[in-house]
Amino acid sequence: MADLTTKLGSLTLKNPVMTASGTFGYGREYASFYPLNSLGAIVVKGISPFPHHGNPVPRICETASGMMNAIGLQNPGVEDFIRKDEYLPFLIREKATVIVNIWGKSISDYCKVAERLDCVEGIAALEINISCPNIKEGGIAFGTDLGQAAKVVSQIRKVTRRLPLITKLSPNVTRISDFAKCVVDAGSDMVSLINTFTAMAIDIETRKPKIANVYAGLSGACIKPIAVRMVYEVAKAVNVPVIGMGGIFSAADAIEFFLAGADAVAVGTANFIDPMASMNILNGISEYLDAHGYNSISELIGNLNL
Amino acid sequence: MFTEKAEILSNKNLKGDYYQVDFYSPKIAENARAGQFAHVQIGNMEAHILRRPFSIFDTRKDGTLSIVYKAVGHGTKVLSEMKYRDICDILGPQGNAYTPATENIYPVIVVGGYGAAAAYMLAKEAKIKGKLLIGARTKEDLILIDNYKELGFEVEIATEDGSMGRKGLVTELLSPYLNRKNSMIYACGPNGMMYAVAKLARANDSICEVSLDHPMCCGVGACFACVVKVYDKKKESWVYARSCKEGPVFNSKDIFIE
Repeated sequence: MADLTTKLGSLTLKNPVMTASGTFGYGREYASFYPLNSLGAIVVKGISPFPHHGNPVPRICETASGMMNAIGLQNPGVEDFIRKDEYLPFLIREKATVIVNIWGKSISDYCKVAERLDCVEGIAALEINISCPNIKEGGIAFGTDLGQAAKVVSQIRKVTRRLPLITKLSPNVTRISDFAKCVVDAGSDMVSLINTFTAMAIDIETRKPKIANVYAGLSGACIKPIAVRMVYEVAKAVNVPVIGMGGIFSAADAIEFFLAGADAVAVGTANFIDPMASMNILNGISEYLDAHGYNSISELIGNLNL
Repeated sequence: MFTEKAEILSNKNLKGDYYQVDFYSPKIAENARAGQFAHVQIGNMEAHILRRPFSIFDTRKDGTLSIVYKAVGHGTKVLSEMKYRDICDILGPQGNAYTPATENIYPVIVVGGYGAAAAYMLAKEAKIKGKLLIGARTKEDLILIDNYKELGFEVEIATEDGSMGRKGLVTELLSPYLNRKNSMIYACGPNGMMYAVAKLARANDSICEVSLDHPMCCGVGACFACVVKVYDKKKESWVYARSCKEGPVFNSKDIFIE
């Protein structure tokens, strides 16, 4: 069987399949379907220094080959996340590799949550969310302005001594590779991409937006070709590990991302449709490597036949 | 919670746009309780990717899981065209169930439209056969009345257009049953109706459970799409609770009414 061990800088994962933040809760809901430590990592739903209600409902709607969401980063806040049994303690008991997605309304919020988590055992890395399109302050405001992106990442870097930093990039920019280079220069150890596309849908009978927040993030199979293109561009532009995601529903989808240059992948929307999705994709990758005579996943990465 | 590739045993029209589909889904059927739902991935849906949540209407010991639905959107229309032996992937049973109506409880079931389906198992298992108050816009939207009558429930009807029963809202039938000793109100229907029932119950100190939901996504509690406002622990403010996990059945005292 091919070796799936995945090295992302100083972070070593048993395999390259993670869950995308916001699509897997805090792991607990999926633990009855398969052991959480069978995946490369569990990336938990975004955590802020304070508890946050999130947006009014409706928060989701279906679109052609995808969906839109504007959950608005509802979360229990960093202290409850660390202490309450249902969150981090549960994931530690399950021996899951935990990556915590973090966000705030200001740079000082981001630093607060990063600094707090940096000294907590049981966390493998932080993913800086500068790309959520669904909150009024923070999130994407930092991810669509090169100056702000550099500033938030470099400030977080200063207060984070131990944990590797992943910056999650927004696709809602003209040239995503510029943002990748910018956050790497600012101290990010790697990048993950893509977050959702800012989108909108309207109910023509009520003439109301289908999502209470009006704007929402588009995800699912419909965004995959754009995600693959962006991963390809970013992987060429930076010399750090790249985590690819965006509409991965099958092992074949994931393999496209590896060939485009992703060192690891994350499964998002697919988890909502099939709770076993991430696990099935992992098994499918392994079967593909064996069937095609690869000895390790690393042989596949960037191995595009141009 | 289980996932089953469930074969359709039958899929029949009840009246108008209303259908009953029976699946062979033994694990979900065996574990289902009244008020819970099944999260169904309907086959042949092409670009429509999400699962659809349906209240569980009935189960049988032979592994039959029944759902009653109205063919209104794309998913339910595709479902209505599915045939014997077609397969759907079902996740369930999921969500918080109604408190069973034991020998000490006189159940007053208040339903709107196909909400009648969600409370049927509760009625079936109720030790005392109580009242069904059923309302709809018009008589075409009244379903399952005979099923409740066969169980021994007394039925009172309200329609908004007066085409059957009393003209008006089903909540107007509720007042004689508020604050009655040993009775409990169980409600399922549109959210507006649920909040109206909950308000009446609270104002009269009646014990009441309502079934609430919002557009749902994962159905397992991970995505936080289907949230409803409930009181926080100190009863001072509200927090969002997941209708797929903490709900869909909530005690009327716990929900936050604006």
